[in-house]
Amino acid sequence: MTDRVTAQEITITRVFDAPRELVWKAWTEPEQLARWWGPAGWTNPLETISMDLRPGGRFSVTSVSDADGTEMTSEGVYREVVEMERLVFDEPAENAWHEGAVSTATFTDLGDGRTEVVLHSTINTTDEMRAGAEAGMAGSLDRLAEHLAAR
Amino acid sequence: MTVDQLSTTFAALADPTRRAIMARLAQGEATVNELAEPFPITLQAVSKHLKVLERAGLIARGRSAQLRPSRLQGDALKEAADWLAGYRGFWEGRFDRLDDHLRDIQRRHQA
Repeated sequence: MTDRVTAQEITITRVFDAPRELVWKAWTEPEQLARWWGPAGWTNPLETISMDLRPGGRFSVTSVSDADGTEMTSEGVYREVVEMERLVFDEPAENAWHEGAVSTATFTDLGDGRTEVVLHSTINTTDEMRAGAEAGMAGSLDRLAEHLAAR
Repeated sequence: MTVDQLSTTFAALADPTRRAIMARLAQGEATVNELAEPFPITLQAVSKHLKVLERAGLIARGRSAQLRPSRLQGDALKEAADWLAGYRGFWEGRFDRLDDHLRDIQRRHQA
């Protein structure tokens, strides 16, 4: 099977009951990011968080499972940093379910103390990954397992 | 599957050894010893990986037999394979926690 890469888009919108400055800081200050970035039941040790908040700067956060110490690192590169307005970042394929993703988080002040965050991601996947997903849906786990082993 | 379960599933699969174990189990159930064979790691390390996979609902392990063979649980894997939904779930979970954090920090500022 060829390794043709196709982009898929996803948009997630959420309104937060907090002023925009606070929401921006929650995304851009390590002490605050540590409080929400990892999955529930995981802790993000502050010393594992690095954020070089400028275009081309890298970020890295390691989440540690409270249950058994399993570690999961999410990292990427900031592409665009527009103070309080927009954050664009790439996430590489390594340790992820995709062949690279670019996400744009847009912060809008709703004027009533609330802030809307729109996260738009373009996620690259290969034919093989989609075939794996389809095989999984169809009940044949072998192909999916092959894909998992190949990743 | 809840957002938290999906996050756990994704975390469980974000490891090459665990993905390889899943691939081996796709061929049929296997004991810890059989699973450990192809890897340069200890039985203890394999057991730890199996626990992570079990907690994520990706595998089930025999209760009665002494060897406790592991086998795949298809449903969690199928849902994780719908990765777009998984990706959305992952972010929805993050946003839930961001929401909690923002409430928390504002409450503390007011106090």
